[in-house]
Amino acid sequence: MQKSVNLQVNQLYLERGDRDLCQDLTFSVTSGELVRVAGENGAGKSSLMKALLGWLPIESGQIEYKGEDVTVHRDVLLADQLYLGHTPGIKTVLTPLENLRLYCPEASLQALEQALEHVQLGPYADIPAAQLSAGQKRRVALARLWLTDKPLWLLDEPFTALDHAGVLALEAHIKTHLDSGGAVMLTTHQTLLTLSAKTVELAAA
Amino acid sequence: MNYTSFFKAEWLSLLRRKQDTLNALLFFVMVITLFPLGVDPSSEFLAPAAGGIIWCATALSVLMAVEGLFKEDFNDGSLEQWLASGLSVSVLVLLKVLAQWLMVMVPLLLALPVLAQMLFLPWSSLLTVMGSLLLGTPALFLIGAIGAALTVSLRRGAVLMLLLILPLYIPVIIFATGAIRAAQLQMSVSGQLAILAAMSIVALALAPVMTAISIKASVN
Ligand SMILES: Nc1ncnc2c1ncn2[C@@H]1O[C@H](COP(=O)(O)OP(=O)(O)OP(=O)(O)O)[C@@H](O)[C@H]1O
Ligand SMILES: [Mg+2]
Repeated sequence: MQKSVNLQVNQLYLERGDRDLCQDLTFSVTSGELVRVAGENGAGKSSLMKALLGWLPIESGQIEYKGEDVTVHRDVLLADQLYLGHTPGIKTVLTPLENLRLYCPEASLQALEQALEHVQLGPYADIPAAQLSAGQKRRVALARLWLTDKPLWLLDEPFTALDHAGVLALEAHIKTHLDSGGAVMLTTHQTLLTLSAKTVELAAA
Repeated sequence: MNYTSFFKAEWLSLLRRKQDTLNALLFFVMVITLFPLGVDPSSEFLAPAAGGIIWCATALSVLMAVEGLFKEDFNDGSLEQWLASGLSVSVLVLLKVLAQWLMVMVPLLLALPVLAQMLFLPWSSLLTVMGSLLLGTPALFLIGAIGAALTVSLRRGAVLMLLLILPLYIPVIIFATGAIRAAQLQMSVSGQLAILAAMSIVALALAPVMTAISIKASVN
């Protein structure tokens, strides 16, 4: 099944309090594309993701997904995306396996265990997430990327707390996703090691 | 994420955090034992007051249980995942409240017959007390969920939440204790119980939607 993504952002204005986060921002995310949102701390990268998902009001401009205005019909975008934020929703009282089972109920036990192997968490599958390190917790959330068939990934700082090998593995997986027609929009302060990305710059006003 | 996997995960988290539930139950038992110890241990005082004592203790333990209902979900980013899942947040809220209700109310109802003895509550009214709890507490939990969602992003939201929620608990408590008093006077209780059920049904219809709106407003 070929994935297809077509997200268009036109002349977007975002505000937070009295501060302009972006003015006249225009970019697109289409199949096979990796888009990196860049900007200093507080520039509004996370806010932009949240605006796409509909949790922040947009001042003016359009966001269109597959030709439909998302402020009117957000279901198509919501059904197509996988979002991982700064805090990716990992329950610390549950084990990595139970966390994955919550988010990916269709996957078989074997597939879940395989996904945990991919992020080097095989031996930790049955330990409460509270007892994992920061990077390991991040990996639990990232394991979802090995189980999903959603075409559009919205990843807010996916590389934080990951070690070098972890970054490489994630980049390789992102590459496979892009090659199969998916698209990724991510924010990171690190330089990408193997991937080349289209950059959207959020300059502080 | 789907509704089944969500409910399972909620239930599992509650089981892992047994201590919190146990605290609410312990609190319930403590409040009830304080009355015979602190006010008057005679059956002339306790028997007529039993309904009120049980209901105040229940309302307080429910408040304790729901106060931080969404705190952890807010902190660990689960609320964002609810909103991003494309599922109805109202239904997720309802499932979460249902899990919490079962976790608190089942042990509470099991402990009730013993505690009722301590308060000299006649056996004939025990059934009415249980019925009023079954019919009335869903409203308490659902209203509490609205308050918990409204204050989830505030650092010291607990007191504000009490001020918001307690006034809304009063009608439930009034009709519940009214039913129990009527039962003790051998009068019909069906009217009061019906009103309690109506309040829970209204809460069932409105509270999840309002909670979902508050959750969406708190995630930004
Ligand atoms: N919950 C909030 N309420 C009010 N203002 C906020 C909130 N979160 C962020 N802001 C403000 O919005 C602006 C943009 O924040 P945002 O989180 O989008 O930045 P960011 O680019 O993701 O930064 P970082 O690189 O640190 O993740 C900041 O100036 C911040 O002060
Ligand atoms: Mg950010």
